[in-house]
Amino acid sequence: MKNRLRSLRAERNWSQADLAERLEVSRQSVNAIETGKFDPSLPLAFKLARLFNSTIEAIFTDEQ
Amino acid sequence: MICMPTSKAGRRYIYRLFPTMVVYILFLFVAQWAFHHRHATGLFIYLLAILPALPLIGSLAIVGLYIAEESDEFERSIIVQSMLWGLGGALSVSTIWGFLEDFAKAPHVSTFYVYLFFWIFMGISQPLIRLRYK
Repeated sequence: MKNRLRSLRAERNWSQADLAERLEVSRQSVNAIETGKFDPSLPLAFKLARLFNSTIEAIFTDEQ
Repeated sequence: MICMPTSKAGRRYIYRLFPTMVVYILFLFVAQWAFHHRHATGLFIYLLAILPALPLIGSLAIVGLYIAEESDEFERSIIVQSMLWGLGGALSVSTIWGFLEDFAKAPHVSTFYVYLFFWIFMGISQPLIRLRYK
């Protein structure tokens, strides 16, 4: 699933490790989600949305 | 679980698995010693024989606990996938070897080794699965 995580991260000057720490997941998890190779669960997607003060639809898109 | 895990659940997994393996070695020595030096009879033979299997079964339960406790869903997914490869690999090898024993008169291998094959396939598959997400 495509997403805007990389740009949202860049806006805040966060590394993948920084985001992983805030989400309480591994850096590999963040990388897998960011590259669209792993789709997060709904609870994790909500957590991401809250962290970026955004909505799930604004972060993730279901277009291939 | 190739390298030292960083999550709390991962560390608990290691702290549980290590003493379980120590208990396995201990039980194995006890069983071997008892079969060589004592003349076990009746039900005691069966109890003694399954003694080393108990910590090994416990190790599978420890993996189950890890999956239940790991809050990182990506890491959980990697472990579940590698367990499926472990199960598939162990069942495939034991099925092939079973037919080899029946039809090609291959030497008998104890079914205990299915457990070992499970871990081998699980261990090999884990880094390969991770490569898919790089």
